[in-house]
Amino acid sequence: MSSLSDYFQTDWQAMTTNDWIGTILTVVIFLLMVGAYFYVFRPKNREKLEAMKHIPFEEDNENTGDPHGRK
Amino acid sequence: MEASLERKYNFDVVRWFTIMAVVYLVVGASVGVYIAAELAWPALNFDSPYLSFGRLRPLHTNAVIFAFGGCTLMATAFYTVQRTCGARLWSDKMAWFTFWGWNLVIVLAVITLPLGLTQSKEYAELEWPVDILIAVVWLSFTINFVMTIANRKSSHIYVSNWFFLGMMIMIVYLHVVNSLAIPVGLFKSYSIFSGVQDAMIQWWWGHNAVGFYLTAGFLGIMYYFVPKQAGRPIYSYRLSVIHFWALMFGYVWLGAHHLQYTALPDWTGSLGAAVSIAMIIPSWGGAVNGMMTLSGAWDRLRTDYVLRFLIIALAFYAMSTFEGPVMSLKTVNALSHYTDWTIGHVHSGALGWVAGISIGAIYHLMTRLYHTEMFSVRLINFHFWTATIGTVIYIVAMWVSGIMQGLMWRAYDEYGTLAYTFVESVDAMHPYYAMRTVGGAIFLLGAVVMLFNILMTVRKSLSEGSLSKARALPAPA
Repeated sequence: MSSLSDYFQTDWQAMTTNDWIGTILTVVIFLLMVGAYFYVFRPKNREKLEAMKHIPFEEDNENTGDPHGRK
Repeated sequence: MEASLERKYNFDVVRWFTIMAVVYLVVGASVGVYIAAELAWPALNFDSPYLSFGRLRPLHTNAVIFAFGGCTLMATAFYTVQRTCGARLWSDKMAWFTFWGWNLVIVLAVITLPLGLTQSKEYAELEWPVDILIAVVWLSFTINFVMTIANRKSSHIYVSNWFFLGMMIMIVYLHVVNSLAIPVGLFKSYSIFSGVQDAMIQWWWGHNAVGFYLTAGFLGIMYYFVPKQAGRPIYSYRLSVIHFWALMFGYVWLGAHHLQYTALPDWTGSLGAAVSIAMIIPSWGGAVNGMMTLSGAWDRLRTDYVLRFLIIALAFYAMSTFEGPVMSLKTVNALSHYTDWTIGHVHSGALGWVAGISIGAIYHLMTRLYHTEMFSVRLINFHFWTATIGTVIYIVAMWVSGIMQGLMWRAYDEYGTLAYTFVESVDAMHPYYAMRTVGGAIFLLGAVVMLFNILMTVRKSLSEGSLSKARALPAPA
């Protein structure tokens, strides 16, 4: 590579349908990832998401009347 | 609590998968120790093709990955999906079909691989009729899991189920595409791919078997069993969500890093290495998330041996998910590729992470599935130390051996000719191959002790009648 612009040079005419599908899908998924980061780390969503961490313990807190049970 | 759930949920199939997982751990590790000994002392193949390293090695990998790992994943996935969704398995019959079908696959592997019937694809050696059976059984596992989630009583799907489901979906299409072949007989077929495309598909499958089966699936185990054993919720649920999506997005790119300096276009290997490095972030995020769950309760590690297994497994997960990306870099790969360093890396993941988290989960499950305490806590402690020491001896031997191999192969003398012959490098490996066998044997000893402890716990439960008493209790609403 003689220069940075050579490194990023793309022959757009040579792009096949498969190339375009792959490129578009990759960019879309990347944007979805960015969206996921934004959603998860938005302070407004913190309480709602963190409340889900208790799901594995919900059943343990129910009174089943089982004297020999274990949590 | 678990006792009154016996009627609500299907724990029978979970019990059988759990027991078989431990049986296959012993079988798979035994074959592994034997072939490790063959490498150190080749006369152990007794000039029999059925006992040769080339035939027994895929038997070892299939036994530990698909027999032990598969049974562990199926036991834990069927257990956690019921417990976190508050719903019984969608179909008991389908669950038993999965159990018997998966065990049939394992029996067929035990028969065909020593006979030399193989597709010659790494981690996908089984011939086409068995591949079809695997696809059908895996789909039955997936459909039952998905339908149980669909019938859930909770509004949210807990994150462990996301990891299990991600693994199931990805393995369906990875397995199907990689196994596409043209049969020319009942036990002979040729891949529909050829040349460099075949290599690329092979390692697209190979690394994603690591990424989705041996990582995502076992992270599903981690996200349920670490909080349950620690008695406290996961440190950060938000981090677990990011961990999941980053893993799903990133892992599919990595396969090409197995093919550096080959006929594959140079940029694909570079891309694989770049995304591999990026994957350190979510992997370490997940490992820290698991470990920090113990925040404020680290003293539990002094007394809770099951928790020790789970946390040490996370330490190995963090270590191997750092080592792997470093090895994918071209500069490091030039030294490490084709050497025993790779074997050391694989086993720090397989013994340290996969087996460690599985063993912790199985001990956790045993007391809850059989409604009694373990037969011997001291034996669990003994197992913990044998597993840890055996793993460390194994991987240290392979690190030293691998780096020495790489350095010997690339050494030149003043005239520009190779400084060592290949045979000299093989001879230099001998002490480390013997050391690896010792490490593996120590790990195997722990697995045998585990099997004994598990079977004695089942016997204890039967003699106490705790399981039958639990089955007689009414199901909770």
